[in-house]
Formats: sequence, structure tokens, C-alpha cells
Amino acid sequence: MRALFALLLVLPLAVAAEPFTPKDDAAIVQRLPYRVDAAERTRRAALARDPAQLPLALATARAALDRARVLGDPRELGAAQAALAPWWTRADAPPEAVLLRARVLQARHDFDGGLAQLRGLLARDDLPPELRAQALLDSAAVHQLRAELPQARTLCEQLKPLAPLPASACLAELDSLSGNAPAAAQVLARLSPGRTVLPWLALMRAELAERMGDAAALGLYRQALVGADEVYTRAALADWLLAQGRDAEALTLTQGSDADALLLRHVIALHRLNRDAAAPTARLRDSLAAADRREPGKHAREQARFALDVSKQPREALRLAQLNWAMQREPADAVLLLRAAQAAGRDGEPARRELARFVRERGWQDARLAALDRS
Amino acid sequence: MIRALILLLFCTSAWAHQSSEAYLRYRVDGAEVEQRLDVALRDLDRDLGLDADGDGVLSWGEVRARWGDIERLASDGLRFTVDGAACQSNGAGTPQLDEHSDGMHAVLVTRWRCPAAVQALAIDYRLFAATDAGHRGLARLVGAAGEPLVLVPGAGPQTLSASGAGLAGFVFEGMAHIASGLDHLLFLATLILVAVWKRDGAGWVPRLSGRSAVVETLKLVTAFTVAHSITLGLAASGAIDPPSRWVESLIALTVLLAALDNIRPFVPGPRWAMVGLFGLVHGVGFAGPLKDLGLRGAELVMPLLGFNVGVELGQLAAVALLLPVALLLRGRTVYRRWIVPGASGAVATLATLWLAERSLALQLLQ
Repeated sequence: MRALFALLLVLPLAVAAEPFTPKDDAAIVQRLPYRVDAAERTRRAALARDPAQLPLALATARAALDRARVLGDPRELGAAQAALAPWWTRADAPPEAVLLRARVLQARHDFDGGLAQLRGLLARDDLPPELRAQALLDSAAVHQLRAELPQARTLCEQLKPLAPLPASACLAELDSLSGNAPAAAQVLARLSPGRTVLPWLALMRAELAERMGDAAALGLYRQALVGADEVYTRAALADWLLAQGRDAEALTLTQGSDADALLLRHVIALHRLNRDAAAPTARLRDSLAAADRREPGKHAREQARFALDVSKQPREALRLAQLNWAMQREPADAVLLLRAAQAAGRDGEPARRELARFVRERGWQDARLAALDRS
Repeated sequence: MIRALILLLFCTSAWAHQSSEAYLRYRVDGAEVEQRLDVALRDLDRDLGLDADGDGVLSWGEVRARWGDIERLASDGLRFTVDGAACQSNGAGTPQLDEHSDGMHAVLVTRWRCPAAVQALAIDYRLFAATDAGHRGLARLVGAAGEPLVLVPGAGPQTLSASGAGLAGFVFEGMAHIASGLDHLLFLATLILVAVWKRDGAGWVPRLSGRSAVVETLKLVTAFTVAHSITLGLAASGAIDPPSRWVESLIALTVLLAALDNIRPFVPGPRWAMVGLFGLVHGVGFAGPLKDLGLRGAELVMPLLGFNVGVELGQLAAVALLLPVALLLRGRTVYRRWIVPGASGAVATLATLWLAERSLALQLLQ
């Protein structure tokens, strides 16, 4: 009998995947996410011979961070860190290297680590103005991300003489989060020089318009996307479309991307449209699990969204949304927490009340958070 | 947000795929070692520039033409010793590829003869240390249970035990799995409740001989085992992969139907046939822990066997506890009036709740 079982167990293994040798040399075996141009290739070769060449290392790390932003590929963070290896642990590293080091840490959600690097940098008296401006902005961004608005404001005030346009945008954004949304929207609109709108400014205005419940958000998101097609912007627009019930458009917008953030929106749209979502859902689940294994707890925003909108586990979604809220506190995080709390019913009531108090104290204005006021 | 300003749109975990990983598998047989390294073509392209025509895609010809460089990169970046001594190369495999979740990997198989029988491997891993600080190697011993050894490039030699937990580990996993799966246990218990009876039209009558009750139990357990072994093998190997929500819902349904059948028999045919059919569903549910191990092909044989033996031992333990009691009580009025209807009703209620929860993705139970 046991032999029969063994046979039954082995039978299906014949169909399992095994290594193979393609028959045809012309067979395409891997699509590459980007092409390496000649300049990049020369730079890498030179760096491989002697890694301690600062300008080459900085250019390589910057290129890798740019790709990380556009493609949403975590491999690029490893590449950036590797290029900076000779200066990675040195306290007296050149300021450009420290700036990039901080960005790698921030991108891995090590916000405390990133801020510590930037604080050290800002304490240097001989820091060139343009690097000081970068360090101020980077720190302000992290503080804003954690809803530490007074700290962010202090940094952006210091930025004024160094970089007036970003400083004004930063302060307007902080105003909008402190109860002055309409006035801030006007300030941001006036900052656009001429007809062409900078992509980042369009994105800022789009997000503010969305918070105010203003349908102009759509045009602004599209403007930002035309200027710079990046994972973040695309995901933000997809979220807006999903929130408006324009699921088919969200589906098209997120078609064919490898980035988890876009795959997540794609899967949500498929589910809402009652289309077959089995394969992409499985891929997304694997991918989120791999990300969580590598950096436990750091991907709670996407995990919570998955639990809430895909696997429909409201309690798990609430737990993850709270975990995420402890790490980052942007309006989008508050919206996620509110939705998870509502889905969890009575169990979500304490979280909802606490969030309502937080939002009231800060004077946040957000049409999406209107449901908080029902008590 | 201010992040927009600095063009640092690090959408928190907007990441594609996953960080770079290479997979290492060692097969140890006495002093012989076979090493299989699966390394992503994307990573190889970054370091070696495999895309000769620069068209953004890699053809097999482009990869094959550089196979020698790929082997050199691998042998420079990965060494192992046994008891401080290097092993002697004993040949390499042919160029091959294999698909992983983050794309196509080159498969590099090398064979080694070591000075003595291998107890542990000291692996010195340096792959991509200079070009991707986030890269990791995941090493495991073929046929061993548990988590893989995570290799950090350039962190010095790390030890992979060659003894492993082996078959016993998987037997234990199987037992633990059945012990923690209340739905599987309740299904079995429900069957045993009336295995000591036999169908008589629209009702049940006690079996006269204990022997026939034992034979009936044996039939049921065998049908269940054969059925779930088939689907466990199919699911663990990836040949079938139904959505887990459906599987879990169907498992709840089988428990419900079995419990209702206890109260008033309505399922046609012999009971072992019903149990066999339902066992197919349970087998898919058993496969979870094995699928997580990421073993493929022939590697799955021993773990599958061990796991299945463990599941069966767990079942037999449950049978051994319940059957004597059922045998003893089978003719009593209290058993007919209260115990069977009461227990079956309770199981049916719980199974209904599970079914609702799992099929509608609700949370009704704590």
C-alpha cells in the first residue's frame, strides 16, 4: 500500500518545472528593465577597476536612485549602496555621499537613520549652499511624511534664502495641512511660472485638489504624469480613479507594470470589475511576502491595502494600517486607516476615534476623511 | 507632498518584484557534493553586460555566448570548504535556465569530491558584493526542512549543516499540520462517530460486531488517505493551484455535509466513496506548508512522503482516541439520542460559520 502511495506522490512531479536549455539561440529569455547606455557602461567598468573614485561613484549612485524612482525596483537601492561602499560607514564622508546615503536609507523606510545622517550634515559649517538646500528639503520631506509639521516648517523656513521656489511650495503645502487649504491652493497655482507647470508642482497641486475634493485633481495628475512618468504619480492617479469608481480607467493606467504599487492598483481594479485576477493576485501576494520577509513591517501600507481591498480581511487590514500609521502619517495613510477602521466595524471604533482626534487637532482638511466626523 | 519637491518620490514600497536573490542548493552524498546556483540573468547582465546588441532583451544566444564569463563570475563569488579544506572539482553541468518569481535565472551546476564525508559546508559568498549591496544568497540542503540559510555577500564564511532535519522533520511537520487543523480533525471525528453504525435506509443502526466497525473505519481512513495523497502531491508540486479561498470554503463544506449526513443520511453510495471525494479537497489544503518550502521536482519526493506519513500518524492518533469510545457506546440510547446528533449538530454549526466566513471573506469567529 505504501508503495502505491509513493507512486501516486511521484506521478505529478513529472509535470513540475525543471531547468531547461532553450532550443533556439534567438529565443528571448529575459526582458531587461532598462538599457545601459555607453556612458553608464564605461562608468561602471572604471568603477569596477577602482571603486574609490568619488565623482564616478556619485554619478553611479545617482543614476541607480533615479532608476529606483522611475522603475520602482529595490535592486537599484542595493546598486546605489554598493557604489557608495567606500564611504558608506565613514563619518567624515564627503557631503554628496552622505546625502545619497540618507536617500538610500529613506527609500528603505529607515527614516530615523536617514534623518540622523542629514542632521549630521546640516551641522557642518562648511556645507555648500546647494547641498544644504538639498539636506533641508530631504529632512523636511521625512518630517512631513511623519506628520511632524512644526519640524518640517522650521526646515523650510531655513530653505527660503537658499531655494525660494521649493521653500514657498513647501510652506504652502504645510499650510494646506494646517487648516488653510484654499489659500495654499492659490499660492501653489501662482507658483507655476508661465504655461508649463513643473511636474512636481502639478503633483503637489493634484494631491491638494484631491484632499479638497476638487475634480481639478484629474487634470493636474495627468499633467504631472506627462512631465515625469513615475511609479508614485501613476499610483496616485490610479487611486484617484478608483476612489471615483472609474475602475476601467484605473485598470488601463496600471496595465503592464512590474512595480508592486501599480500591480496592487491593477489587481484592485480587476477585482472590482469582476475580471479574472487569479494570476496577478498570486504574483502580488508573493511579492508582498518577499518584501515583508526582507524588511519586516516596512511595507504595511501596501499590505494593508491588499488585505482591505483584495483579500477582504478587515481586521488584518486594520492591524496593518495601524502598523503603517505608526511609521508614516500622510493624508493617504489616514484615509487608509479610516477605511480599514470602518471595514472592521465595531472593532475599528477606537482607531477611528483616535484618528478623528488627531486630524481635528492638526486642522487637516480632507474631503476623504469626512466620515470621521460622524460621531 | 514635499517629497514631490525633491524628486524623491520614494513611494513607500512602490517596489517591483523583490530585491535580488540567488538560490543555492547543495546535494550531499557522503564525500560527494553537488552545488546548484540559480542566479538572475538581470543581475548577470548588470555586471557582465550580456545584452550584446543593446536591444533591451536577452536572447539565449547572448547568454550562451558568455557562459564562460558567467561561470567565472560564479566561481569567483562563491566558494565552500569542508573542515577547512577545499574540495576537488568533479565536473560541471551544461548551460541551463530556470524561471523564478523575479525572472529567468542561469542554472550553474558543479560537482565536487571532498576529502572526507561532509558534515557541514562553510560557504564563503561574495556574489555581487561590489555591485548590489542588497543582494542575498539563499542556501538550502536538498531534502532538509526549515528556512534557508541567508548569505550576505562578503560577510565571511557561513555554515550550512549537511545533516539537516531530514525525513523526521517532515513527518513532524505533517503531524503538527493535522494537529493544528481543526477542520481536518473534526471531519475525521465526524466520520468515526457513525463508523460504528451502518446505513439502514434513511437511518443508522449499530453494527453488531466490533470487527465490522473497525473494518469500516479502516476503509474510510484509507479512502481519505489515498484521495488526499493524490491532491497533496499535485498541489505541492504546483501542477494544480486553485485559489485558497475556494479550497478552504470547500473543506468547510465537506465538514458540513459529513455532519449533516450523520444526523440524517442522504449522501448516496457507500460512505468511503464520499470520504474519498472529500479527501481530494482536503489534500489541496494540506499542501500549504510544503509549497512554502519552494522545493521542486524530485526534491519534493522525500518531504512529501515524510509530510504525508506525519499527516497519517496524526489521523491514526485521532482514530485511536475516538474509535474505542465510539465502539463502546455504539448501542447505547444516549449515543443515538444525544451524543451523535449533538456532536454532529455542533460540528455542522461550526462548519456553516466557516463556510460563510471563508466563501464571503467575513470574520464571524474570533
